[in-house]
Amino acid sequence: MIDAFLLLFAPTNLLFLFIGTSLGIVVGAIPGLTATMLIALTLPLTFNMEPVSAVTLLIGEYVGGISGGLIMAILLRMPGTPASIVTTFDGYPMAQSGRAERALALGIMASVVGGIISWGFLAGMSPALARFALKFGPWEYFTLVLMALVMLAVLSQGSIVKGLLGAALGMAFALPGIDNSIGQARLTFGSDAMLSGFGLLPVLIGAFAISQILRDSATPQNIGKMELPKRHLPIYRRDIAYAPGLLRGSVIGTWIGLLPGIGGNIAALVSYSTEKQISREPEKFGTGHEPGVIAAESANNAAIGGALIPLITMGIPGSVTEAILIGALTIHNLQPGPLLFQNAPEIAYGIIAAYLVANVLMLMLMWGLVRYIAQIVRLPRSGLMAGILVFCVTGSYAVNSSFTDVWVMIGFGVIGLGLEYCRVPLGPFVIGFVLSPIAEEQLRASLMMSDGDFTEILYRPYALVFLALAALTVAWPAIARRIGARGALRKDIP
Amino acid sequence: MDDRTRATLADLALAGLTFSGAAVLLVGAASLPPPRFEPLGSAALPRILGSILFLFAAIIAITAIRRASNGKPAPTAKATVPKADPKRGALVLAALIIYAFMLDVLRVPFLVATPLFVTATGLSIGARSWRNLAAFAVLGLILAGGISVVLERFLYVRIG
Repeated sequence: MIDAFLLLFAPTNLLFLFIGTSLGIVVGAIPGLTATMLIALTLPLTFNMEPVSAVTLLIGEYVGGISGGLIMAILLRMPGTPASIVTTFDGYPMAQSGRAERALALGIMASVVGGIISWGFLAGMSPALARFALKFGPWEYFTLVLMALVMLAVLSQGSIVKGLLGAALGMAFALPGIDNSIGQARLTFGSDAMLSGFGLLPVLIGAFAISQILRDSATPQNIGKMELPKRHLPIYRRDIAYAPGLLRGSVIGTWIGLLPGIGGNIAALVSYSTEKQISREPEKFGTGHEPGVIAAESANNAAIGGALIPLITMGIPGSVTEAILIGALTIHNLQPGPLLFQNAPEIAYGIIAAYLVANVLMLMLMWGLVRYIAQIVRLPRSGLMAGILVFCVTGSYAVNSSFTDVWVMIGFGVIGLGLEYCRVPLGPFVIGFVLSPIAEEQLRASLMMSDGDFTEILYRPYALVFLALAALTVAWPAIARRIGARGALRKDIP
Repeated sequence: MDDRTRATLADLALAGLTFSGAAVLLVGAASLPPPRFEPLGSAALPRILGSILFLFAAIIAITAIRRASNGKPAPTAKATVPKADPKRGALVLAALIIYAFMLDVLRVPFLVATPLFVTATGLSIGARSWRNLAAFAVLGLILAGGISVVLERFLYVRIG
């Protein structure tokens, strides 16, 4: 770990971390632009970079992107990122009552503390969890991927069937190309361009960036009245009283971040609800109550650290952003998972170290520049979107110097827009696309080892646990409804 | 057209497209050779996914038809974005397709195509005025120049 910190403090790596965090904060502050979009767009630029520099840039963007969302959530009630939605509940009323500086100060501090506490979990748990995951064989990996996909699909907002459909469609789009197991073309229908399948980056940029810009360009955005911070950001000695709330929010955020499919927005909501329930003044929540801002911001930032744990220890992405990070590692010939700690410890520990330093950089940047960052929202949206579209085209082209990738990107942009119109969540779609080759490879390896015998899984306790959890996740809404109905029936019986 | 009808039609279209996708998978899988070196073979996953997609498409279609016949409201119909202007989105998409076509097929230089694209997209989304036209053209020129330098100097990639 010390070596990782030393490597991180090399001028180039530190510069990339600084650039990444700054870019992330700026993009996170602009409503409609997300850390996911930024990471997808800058991924092509990392091709020629050293892997450690690439990872530090992307981790900086991730941390900055989530944290930057709090600025507009507090000043304009327009969350820069979905993870900051809950921050608007108390942050905006505080700003409206002339306490914008105080809300920003508490939000930034809570974000940093949440990040540092979840870093503690990340640094403490990851090596041990990776050692444990080394015991996993193909059956365990296959069921783990299946569980992650099912959880992500079921826990996405909206219909369960549409969540699962999104995952299945994503998996289906990953099928065309050369089947690596036997070296034969599959579902290419005679097209040479299809032999390499659909590239990860054009699919990601298309499904997320293009579809979002097409959607946003159709929707007018009215910027309301903004209370800009005028004085320095105040933090007092008495704020130590918020320490238990900060700790609760950070722990909740970390553990929720660990679960696939539950992002920072849900972590913030659960933390906020918990704080409200245990508060002696629950009626003050939603009216500009300081613990509300702390609960939301500590949890949404801590969720990043939590989500990085399964990513580096098992190669399982909890959200689209982590799926792109997996893509970034794969581009540099690195396979995220338990062997990362053995094969490329500088990367595994580098991610952990970069996460901590990115949080510290975020504190310094946001504390000093929040007043200026807040002005970004006044930039003309039309020019911003046109510029991003140019980056999308050049980013997709740069992967293979091929316009086929640009057409694939546009195609997936339209598919993404169509899926969103039909209320099919894009998260399971993209993660299904990323995880499909891993799931197939592991299933085929499992069956080769067991001579085609599916009952072998019965002798694999971890695999059975993962399968049971996947089944429980699918069945849980129906079980919960039935329990609720019985409870209501009992109440009705005199 | 009310939200319920729109949601029902969207679901039916989704089910139709999913049926077609499932059929493509199953037809493609049928032309793949049987497994030789390992038990599963390369046709197994397309077959499994094709069947799953058929099932989901059927569920979505049946749910949509039942909802339409029962007169129940669409479950998340209220999530529709208010005051959206689909024409703007269509214009941006058209500009994007023309931009890619110019670069790929017509071989228009990147430094020419990009300012044209940025101007067209900017004016499709934002206010249409001579001042904006000039501003977007300059922005496009700066972007094209900057990106060309980054691509050629650092990534050794030439575009357009």
